[in-house]
Amino acid sequence: MIVKDVVCPFCGCLCDDIEVEVEDNRVVAVTNACELGMTKLMGEERMKNPILRDGNTWKDITYDEAIRYAADMLLSAERPLLYGWSGTHGEAQCVGVHMAELVHGVIDNTSSVCHGPSILAIQEVGHPGCTLGVVKNRADLVIYWGSNPIDAHPRHLSRYTRYAEGFFLENAFRDRKVIVVDIRKTETANVADEFMQIKPGGDYAVLSALRAIVRGKTETIPRTVAGVTREQLFRVVNLCKNAKFGAIYFGLGLTMTPGKYKNIRNAIELTSELSRHTKFTISAMRGHYNVYGSNEVNTWMTGYPFGIDYSRGISFYNPGETTAVDILARKECDAALIVGSDPAAHFPRRCLEHLADIPVVQLDPYPNATTAFCNVQIPVAVTGIDAEGTAYRMDGVPIRTRRVLSTGYPSDEEVLTRMYALMQGARS
Amino acid sequence: MNFLMITGRTVNQGVTVENKTSAAYAAETSTCFMHEFDMLELGLADGDPIRVTGPCGEVVMRAIGSLEVEMGSIFVPYGPYANHIIAAGTRSTGMPDFKSHEVTIEPTDEEPKTVHRLMEDLGGLAYDR
Repeated sequence: MIVKDVVCPFCGCLCDDIEVEVEDNRVVAVTNACELGMTKLMGEERMKNPILRDGNTWKDITYDEAIRYAADMLLSAERPLLYGWSGTHGEAQCVGVHMAELVHGVIDNTSSVCHGPSILAIQEVGHPGCTLGVVKNRADLVIYWGSNPIDAHPRHLSRYTRYAEGFFLENAFRDRKVIVVDIRKTETANVADEFMQIKPGGDYAVLSALRAIVRGKTETIPRTVAGVTREQLFRVVNLCKNAKFGAIYFGLGLTMTPGKYKNIRNAIELTSELSRHTKFTISAMRGHYNVYGSNEVNTWMTGYPFGIDYSRGISFYNPGETTAVDILARKECDAALIVGSDPAAHFPRRCLEHLADIPVVQLDPYPNATTAFCNVQIPVAVTGIDAEGTAYRMDGVPIRTRRVLSTGYPSDEEVLTRMYALMQGARS
Repeated sequence: MNFLMITGRTVNQGVTVENKTSAAYAAETSTCFMHEFDMLELGLADGDPIRVTGPCGEVVMRAIGSLEVEMGSIFVPYGPYANHIIAAGTRSTGMPDFKSHEVTIEPTDEEPKTVHRLMEDLGGLAYDR
């Protein structure tokens, strides 16, 4: 059987044109997806049943026992951390927020270690963004800054920019210019019309120089700025000002480097400077397929996009204090529920040392690095493969993922709802 | 020799990311992409093990020559190896300095550890089924 219009649950592009061939309840072929999506859709290394760490061995347990363990752990903790959430659907994220409020815990999602700084900048100066469809059909200039879509979002170029048709562009491939700004000459830089190579840590200075040139303050620009020549800076500003519609996409090359959210703020302010001459927009290249959704769900339920602390009974937000890396590094939380992420692979070691000291329950379909720190892991269905639910694309468009297989695994939402019901029963 | 360590995504990291206990994931995330002149300076050939020392520890990786990386910097695909030596400070943003760590690199005879072993060194227990 061939299932059409499947939504790929890998990256923030959330491609919705995938075809999946299913035979004997297994995915046997995938069409249209990139290598990342295809591998995920065909992945088979699932954990078979819930497991419990018993001293130095692992014991198989039932879903009932595992859910009871997790509920008890959260109820008896003084400062539980509920972390992850970008690898699951919005309906499950909702239950997570309710649970955090009930136990006065901290709920944080993976954006604190990806585009959290971008959100901090947006909170300062706003977000002049647009949907991917607008860029595809209108943009005649695209800038990738600190982002390497060929490796991280492989179909972004073919669906929306470099290789995409555009309704308002006569010959999109010829008429659409692509500029790449990076410290490395990445694969994406190789397909760009202009590559601006910056010395590491120099993004803020280059953004400021571009803003000065756009404003006409050309006499203040030195011969080179962070390794970029004056001539190239002028050339890039000319390309931008002569474009009818420009779109900037930035990645972790801006959020993780020195300056962090101030880099993004400067890039957004460059966008608004350019919009005085022509039309410009800027957006983040979001990583996980539903990390944007975790920000949306958290914001509409708590008022804040990530790093929400309910210890006062009301939501409180202070990145750097209420974010997962900081809470773990300070050895502050006394239990952790991990859903749809793998902090042991992606957090600094000091955080893992604390994870080893506290009870941890993880909901994840696969054994991963965090499994080693779990007291209990509960395997769940994969959203977009054997569970369905809402995810938000990197441009904020909600798309309902589809179920292509029926397995016996419960979804994140089902497991969390049962956990929450037990917790409500105990607290009422 | 001292280098600036930058971490980031690669296609191979993404392809193996849902199978973190695999040898392929370990191989990809323990790869240190370096400029070939820097490798020459350290007497390294492609695939040679190196000891990378950061502000909070050391880890063994393998050096691979790359045309993308500038001299003086190294690129390591995101994962447990780079994070083994990355500091947890976030400068009040929630975000560690994933792309701006100063590290020291020297050749070594040791082999990179498995992901299981790295996790067990920090107090975890590998699950192997």
